[in-house]
This record gives sequence, structure tokens and C-alpha cells, in this order.
Amino acid sequence: MNWTLLILPIIFFIFPVYGLYKKVAVYEEFVEGAKEGFTIAVRIIPYLVTILCAIAMFRASGAMDLITGLLNPIFAPLGITSDITTMALIRPLTGSGSIGVLADLIQTYGEDALIVKMAATMFGSTETTFYVLAVYFGAVNIRKTGWAIKAGLLADLTGAIAAIFICYWLFG
Amino acid sequence: MIALSFFFALYQDLNDQITDRWQNDQSFDIQLLQSVGQLEDHQKVQFIVGSNTADTLLGSVTKKSSGYELAIAVNQAIPTHWQAVASEVAGKNAAGSVMLRATLSSIESRSTSVSLPIVKWVKMKAITNAAIDMAETAVSLAIGLIGVMAFWLGLMQIGYKSGLIEGMNKIVAPLMRRLFPDVPADHPAMSAISLNMAANILGLGNAATPMGIKAMEELQKLNPNKEEATDAMCMFLAINTSSVQLLPPATLIALMGASTNELLIPIIFATLCSSIVAITAGKWFSRKSKKLRVEGVN
Repeated sequence: MNWTLLILPIIFFIFPVYGLYKKVAVYEEFVEGAKEGFTIAVRIIPYLVTILCAIAMFRASGAMDLITGLLNPIFAPLGITSDITTMALIRPLTGSGSIGVLADLIQTYGEDALIVKMAATMFGSTETTFYVLAVYFGAVNIRKTGWAIKAGLLADLTGAIAAIFICYWLFG
Repeated sequence: MIALSFFFALYQDLNDQITDRWQNDQSFDIQLLQSVGQLEDHQKVQFIVGSNTADTLLGSVTKKSSGYELAIAVNQAIPTHWQAVASEVAGKNAAGSVMLRATLSSIESRSTSVSLPIVKWVKMKAITNAAIDMAETAVSLAIGLIGVMAFWLGLMQIGYKSGLIEGMNKIVAPLMRRLFPDVPADHPAMSAISLNMAANILGLGNAATPMGIKAMEELQKLNPNKEEATDAMCMFLAINTSSVQLLPPATLIALMGASTNELLIPIIFATLCSSIVAITAGKWFSRKSKKLRVEGVN
């Protein structure tokens, strides 16, 4: 897998060198582009604060445990434990939260447990939908998000279900 | 969501009070193992709870204006209920160890009792703290993005000016045209989108974000209503959150180490499924929203 380490350095090399070859004022253009970094970051702050705070409050209220508790009787007979339900629910909401859940599972069950493999596959295959939404739409000041959340969550759900199935099939 | 959290928190706090989960008014019988004599300043004591002689607990007695305070050293030996209370209200003493401050009913006899501090509105406090902490975290997250963002945007500017990105764009154009029919094929948005998708597929998380933002800015230029997301924007977001990943994200490798290799195939499979669903759903939703728009005009 070591060749993946080369992707970035190669990009870092090719862009400026090709630019020089095409007689682009490399330094000036780089600075020109980089300028935007600050304004964009500042622009997304209000969106990020709103969405992340709402999610943090939701988690702290204990609603998550309640929902997991309600879903458990439905999923448990299918062999999906509450750990997996928690992971599936928390993944679209917070990145750090889901890292925490995964780290806990690894510590409790060890890396080779089926549950851990499922949770890790879920972690690797879905995104923190709400964070991406806040950052991307926030950067351009979009307030009405259309059908983006619906489609994103639907994709997350599919990813989670697919992760459970393939892990059962490969490792179960 | 905030309202929901508020009601959940309220529900649980009221439920705690009705079921008296924290046993707020109850006192616990304890036996001091030494008698407390003339109390100057404070005195260290050992004591047991009820008749449980197995665990000897440590604490220190202090005279307060309202009576006597027993600061209990919080550790594994104290009763489970006390630990639960401690996790909500315990503070630290000067030496930095965690102490639970309880009220001691008397020190005349060695058989006495303590009442723990009252625990109320646990979840309410929790959501308040969570909101305030996260507000801070959100800003540092955004600030933390500045550097990487500036770097990638700078690099991309060179890529645009030199025509490098345009060239790459031509390769993926047929696919992109189908995914984003509303965007002109030679528009800069297309190249930013394809770069973002490439970065996502290769698991280059922090390169993907600046390119994604760039793509959004370009898509925004095509947007007639600057406050509302277009179908192309929604489609881009859906593809982005479900993106196929050929290489697992760095965080996962950090957590799982070598066993990540085993997960490659499951991850590719799961992301493939979610991408297919995202694209199909996206196509369906955008057809629906177009219909609505047309009807709205008529």
C-alpha cells in the first residue's frame, strides 16, 4: 500500500512544474488562490457552529441511547447488536463521535471481532453527512438545502446495510 | 433538532426525578473507623458503608458552618450509586484527586450517616455544556481548515492557469455530463467536481474538502437563486457523502492498523452500493423537483 504515499508528493511536484512549463507565474497564482482559504473558512463558521451545536446537544440529551434502545428489539433478532445501531446512527452526525465509538469497540472486542469489522467498514464507507453539508453549503451561503440531506442519508443507510451484509458474508 | 434535544433532556430529567434515580434525599449509614475528636481544620478518616467491611473507604471531615462535610475519595471501592453521583457532581481537591462532597449528619458517635449532594437536571446541564463546548470546537475546526484550504486552492489555481485541470477534465467528461446534466460540460465546476471525486476515491480527505468547496463556488455561479441549492449541488453532495473509496481513510488506518487491509473489499463494496443509491435517488429527486418547478411556473 506504500505507493499511496506517493500520490500527494507527485501532485505537489507536477502542478508547479507543469505550470512553469506553461509559463504560468507560479508564485503569484499560488498566492492568489491561497488567499481564498481564509475567507472560505471564516464564511463556514456560522454554519458549522449551528449544525455541530445542534448535533452535540442532541447527543448530550441522551436521545441517541433512547433511539438505540427502541430500535434494538427490532434489529437484535437479526444479529445486529446495539453497538452497530449506535455506529450507524452516529456516523452521519459526528466524525469525532463515531471515531470514539469505533475506538471503544476495538478496545472492548479486539480488532478481529465481527462487530468491529462491521463498524469499521461502516466508518470507512460513509461520510459525516451533516458536517459535509455544513461546510459545502456554508461556503457558498446556501440556506435551503433542497433534497441533499434526504439523498445523503439514504446513501448512508445503504452503506450501513451493505457493510453489515458484506461483513457477514466475508467474515461471519 | 435543538427543540428535540430539549424535550428529550427534559423528559429524562423529570423521569429521573420521578423514579428518584439519584436518591436525592436518602442518607447512607456509615461507620467511621476512627472517632473524630476535636476537629481542627480537617481530619482524614477511614470508614465503611453499612456493614460492608470488605471495602474501607477514605475521606476527610471538615467543619462547615452548616455542619460537617465528608469529602469522599472517589475510586472503584465506593458503592456504584455513589460513583454515578460522583460522575455528575464530583470536584477535585487541591491535590487533584476526585472528591465527592457529602454532608455528615454528626461526628459524636462513630456510627453516623451521610447524605450525598443533590443531583438534578443532569441532562439539561449536559446539553448546555455540549452546545457551548461545541461552539468553540466548531470555530477551531473552521480555523484549522484555513491552512490546508489555502494550500490546495493555491495549487489548484496553478492547475487552472496551466490548463492541467482542464486536460484531466476531458477524460472524465462523458461520465460527468450524465451525472450533472444542468452544468455545461466545459464549465470550471466540472473539473472541480471531478478533482473532488478523485480525492475522495483515493481517501485523501483533506484534499477533497478544498476542492469540494471550490466546486460548490463554481456551481453557485450557475445558481439563479443564491439561497437555494440546485439539483446539481444536491447531486454533488450526495455523491460526495457516499463516494466510492478505493483506499480507506487515514483515520481508519490509524485506528485499526494492519487489519484495515482486510476491510478494503467490504469498504469498496459498501461505498459502491451507497453511491449507486445516492445517484439513483438523486436522479429521481431532481426529476421530481423539476416537475414541481414547472408546475409552479404554470
